[in-house]
Amino acid sequence: MSVNHWMTFGTFAEQRYFIYPNKDVYYGVIINANMAAHAPDGLAAFLLEKTAQYRYLIDPVTHAFQHDPSAVTDSSGEVRSSIKKMATAYGEPFVRIVGKEPLRPRVLLADKDATYEFVARCLDFQREQVARPMVEADAAKYLDLGEDVRPYALVAPYFYMTETTLAQWIPACRRCVEIALELKGANRLFACIVVGQGVASNSKARKVILDSFASLGVDGFLLWVDDLDEYEAGTDELNGLLHLARGLGGGGEREVINLHGGYFSILAAGVLGNRALTGVAHGPEFGEHRAVVPVGGGIPIARYYIPRLHHRTRYRDALAILRAKKWLTTTAKEFHRNVCDCHACKEVLGGDLANFSKFGESIIRTVRRKRGMVRMAFPTSEAKVMCLKHYLHVKQSEYEFADSASPDRIVGELQDGRAQFEGAAGLEGVAHLERWEQVLMGTA
Amino acid sequence: MSKVCKATARNARSEFELMECLLSFLGSQGYRVRVEVPNLCQSADIVATRGRWVTFIEAKVRDWRRALAQCEAHVHVADYICIAIGTHKPRDSSIRLATDRGYGVIGFDSGGNACRWLMEPRLNRDLWLPERRRWARNLREIQHVG
Repeated sequence: MSVNHWMTFGTFAEQRYFIYPNKDVYYGVIINANMAAHAPDGLAAFLLEKTAQYRYLIDPVTHAFQHDPSAVTDSSGEVRSSIKKMATAYGEPFVRIVGKEPLRPRVLLADKDATYEFVARCLDFQREQVARPMVEADAAKYLDLGEDVRPYALVAPYFYMTETTLAQWIPACRRCVEIALELKGANRLFACIVVGQGVASNSKARKVILDSFASLGVDGFLLWVDDLDEYEAGTDELNGLLHLARGLGGGGEREVINLHGGYFSILAAGVLGNRALTGVAHGPEFGEHRAVVPVGGGIPIARYYIPRLHHRTRYRDALAILRAKKWLTTTAKEFHRNVCDCHACKEVLGGDLANFSKFGESIIRTVRRKRGMVRMAFPTSEAKVMCLKHYLHVKQSEYEFADSASPDRIVGELQDGRAQFEGAAGLEGVAHLERWEQVLMGTA
Repeated sequence: MSKVCKATARNARSEFELMECLLSFLGSQGYRVRVEVPNLCQSADIVATRGRWVTFIEAKVRDWRRALAQCEAHVHVADYICIAIGTHKPRDSSIRLATDRGYGVIGFDSGGNACRWLMEPRLNRDLWLPERRRWARNLREIQHVG
């Protein structure tokens, strides 16, 4: 059993990163339904040309309809076109309410026929939306695709549950899963559990979730705790994530994939976590945690993943930390020994430590801010690609390490990281390593 | 004049007023000045050059802590780092926080509408040349003020 390495497809600009370190690394791709609704042909071409197994899951993103309409409309109040297409594909009640009012659970529970119809359409969308253009694509003429074009599993419609809305949403979510089980045919079926951090850290709420979903007979679960940044999360939240994953997995009976996870989740899926998860997904860029309701993009900044900290650090912080450790003052060989010896770092440094500054290469642009027009430095495309190549190389080794190293070695690596970086990064900069160890060892 | 008026008369009323005064002060000291200069994903209020020496200045009407935090990123590229503060007589403890780090302190006296050195900066020996060169390439795209 290995730790399945899933990558989420965010934008078409990111598709070129799926070949780093090589396309065989990724177990599969997770695609958002709004993206599939918007550009099915492009996604079909991407899966055929940039992935090795064509293995994919379509996240139906049905939670998009339960939020305030502003979450799915643009600045002029128009429903975003990809969301509109998704609503059209799913039918009623989404077509009627999208952009006007949030979906409420009682709407789904009141009209059983309409809900049945919506679940059927949602599953059909996943079966057909990308599979059909894959079969019809020019590239497919030379491939023996067989049944490979089907999604890895169908995902039942789901909704976001917080401590205050759990009781209302659970019956609707369960109903959707039950209907999906009737309609799944020969496909695998996954349920998606998306909860607030309050639910994850509350043992009673977790029990409600597990009692409601673990025995439904699905083949697996997608798990997403709203905006759970493992680097900053406390032990309650991390323990909650682990407990939910173990409960849903049923001791290895069912797959459990964390939709947005970092190194803690990778360890949880490996030897140290006793295979609490079967897989972990992340995005090529900012995908190790994600808020259910997007809060805006912000200014992109260069980040360097410090392997021993298992954290993607702002370039300026990485610079300060690595300089404090004197690892930018000796030789490139020392850098590779102490910091990172991945192929990407070796390529960027080219034997010269001064080239580390290439990870922070930027261009100056003038942008509008509250105070008026201001000049800001944005990472160059080249710098972003360098940071990403390095990040994806390191990620691959993290998955392999978590899967095959002994628990002692894994714990030793966390402790070494803490000892090595506490002076340079401060206690706050290394405390996550201790929390992860405590939670995974069951001592927190 | 009331007590309140006397108090405000000694301090800069806005960052704009402080900046105007600073630019004039630096010009009189022979510096060539650029404003709002990006460095490591933040923006320095002023970068003043004289000969081959580069001085970073963060100007704040009164927020010392924010100025100190912003100065941290400049250590990789600056020869000198300074805080310009919009008060006539900052607290000794605040000045000490800056001078302990080698930063200079420029004070503001609105009575004479002038800035003056309260403490001159020490040469930063911790800059990293590769980062300085990278940063300097971008600097060429920014015009001097005045």
